[in-house]
Amino acid sequence: MTGLPLHLRLRRALLVALILGLWAPAKIVWELQIAGRQNQLRYQGVTLTRHLRDQLGQGLSIGVLSGMGNVVADFVWLEVTVAWENEEWFRMGGLINLCTALQPRFITFWDMGAWQLAWNASVAATKDLSLPNPLRREKASRFWIDQGLAIFKRGIENNPESWRLWADTGWLYEQRLGDYRMAAYYYGEAVKRPNCPTFYERFPAIMYGLAGDDREAYAAWQALWTRLTPEQRSQIQHQPTPADLAKIRDLETKLSIPKEKRVFPN
Amino acid sequence: MITSLHRIIVIGRNTLTEAVRQKVLNVLLVFALVLVASSVLVSQLATPGLDNAGLFDPQIKFVKDFGCGAIGLFGFAIALLSTAQLIPDELGKRTIYTILAKPVRRSEFLLGKFLGVVLLVVLAVTLMSSAFGLSLYWQEVRGIAYADSIYGAGFPNFPEVVDRVHRYESEAAQIQARGGNAAAQMQEIRALDEKYRQEGVDSGAAKNSVEEESDWERCKGTVEAYDRDVRQIQDQVRDPQLIEAILLIFAKLIMTTGIALLISTFATSSIFTIVTTFMIYLIGHLESVARDVWLQRGAEVTIWQSGLLGLLSLLIPDMNSFTIVDEILAGNHVPWAHAVDLIGYASVYLVVLLAVSIVIFDYREI
Repeated sequence: MTGLPLHLRLRRALLVALILGLWAPAKIVWELQIAGRQNQLRYQGVTLTRHLRDQLGQGLSIGVLSGMGNVVADFVWLEVTVAWENEEWFRMGGLINLCTALQPRFITFWDMGAWQLAWNASVAATKDLSLPNPLRREKASRFWIDQGLAIFKRGIENNPESWRLWADTGWLYEQRLGDYRMAAYYYGEAVKRPNCPTFYERFPAIMYGLAGDDREAYAAWQALWTRLTPEQRSQIQHQPTPADLAKIRDLETKLSIPKEKRVFPN
Repeated sequence: MITSLHRIIVIGRNTLTEAVRQKVLNVLLVFALVLVASSVLVSQLATPGLDNAGLFDPQIKFVKDFGCGAIGLFGFAIALLSTAQLIPDELGKRTIYTILAKPVRRSEFLLGKFLGVVLLVVLAVTLMSSAFGLSLYWQEVRGIAYADSIYGAGFPNFPEVVDRVHRYESEAAQIQARGGNAAAQMQEIRALDEKYRQEGVDSGAAKNSVEEESDWERCKGTVEAYDRDVRQIQDQVRDPQLIEAILLIFAKLIMTTGIALLISTFATSSIFTIVTTFMIYLIGHLESVARDVWLQRGAEVTIWQSGLLGLLSLLIPDMNSFTIVDEILAGNHVPWAHAVDLIGYASVYLVVLLAVSIVIFDYREI
């Protein structure tokens, strides 16, 4: 190659430069269009930041750089399970954050991660006898519930179309915090998402009932029925269950709803 | 044109035969197949001891990630090692002189060699994908067996219970499908429900409490949950989008092969080709970052840094876009149009790489 005459070398360089010069701008435009669509799909991919690099270590960072972020995330998730079995809650929390950073679009990482913290870590804190008194244990328990809630909320930010995350955040408010109004809000949002199981539709009404807000509860029951078209109302799958009907009748009596304004007057 | 194509095919076929005879590549392929198959065993570590349906999500994802990861990793190794040896081997054995002394153009020689590697990668990816398919099937069988053991616990004959509930559901669906008056339909379904309840099913439930849920209700509830979980497992395992994922992995592998071929046209050793291609592969995953910084140049980026980033963005392919495969493996929907666009990008990039390779190789002194 070194013996190639100068004019041939120049000719070769010019040809290569011409091909690349024609391709390079088109390449950038094409890549920007692909990136734009990926952003639209809410797929951002993993960018290896310094923070992530520090947490992963050198080996796993190369894995991420080689386009194997998903496999790395799976191995980190194995560590989450180990940390859970060993009751290393702080380590588990850090690992869950790492998994969700590596694969922010895998719902189970958010879902199970939040559950691990808000249920398992939190319940373990209530039994932690190394803490001096019940108040401290309660405080520690609440800390883990908040950590779980934060995971759910970040999960929703990354995956707003996931009914599962909305519904499970409602579940956390209901079961762990007893905040039925917030639970009603999150269940209500879950129902608006595609593929949400239909049984969740009645949850907001039930939650408002538990919160003692009878008017909101009745409005939610009413909305369940009134949103249906007359044709849907005649279909068997949309008929209220006897238990729901009993709840609606109770509320109508309690709120003294005039007969003509009742959902099911008869 | 036809004779030129014929020469390319002959060289390609010979390259494939030579590659298949290489022990290193075969060992790599065996490792890949073992790794893909073992993913099911390793996946069990993902969530041991849990007893709800959520159990299967991480396990199935693990098998998918492991399988596609192995296809990508070993496919990369096979493509890279075989391409890096193409020209240095021919030069070392001096066979290139014999070939080029015949009426074979350099471009035909290069394209033939490339075709051989592409065929090898197709073969390797097909074999690994078959192993991947089998391990997914194995995972499905395990998942359903686990669901059987969880939901069937306490039922003396669970398959019979499932069968009876399915028959009831099918008859109820027929009543609903007939349409008509909702109240009459409901009446009919209640009668059907009562008929099945009267027939009775031995659910193994304790019957010492009046308030206890009836056997039939328990059976219906259990089978409903069982069916939901089985469906969930099957939906994840038989996801047709996995074909899209494998095609994207293949497109990325072929693009990498093109880069290795380009480097090997001017490299003097295989090691140089392997190391340089690997570096470009890694940088390719950060190209999008370089491109963004270059295009949205802030005050903190000097003109030299910007120039370097611009050069990288203009020359290095965007490998990170192909990690959209992760999205598919996580169970999210990626439109086919987007996958086709990415495959188109890889194809055009490949044509450019081949064109540059031919230019460089044409002028190489051999």
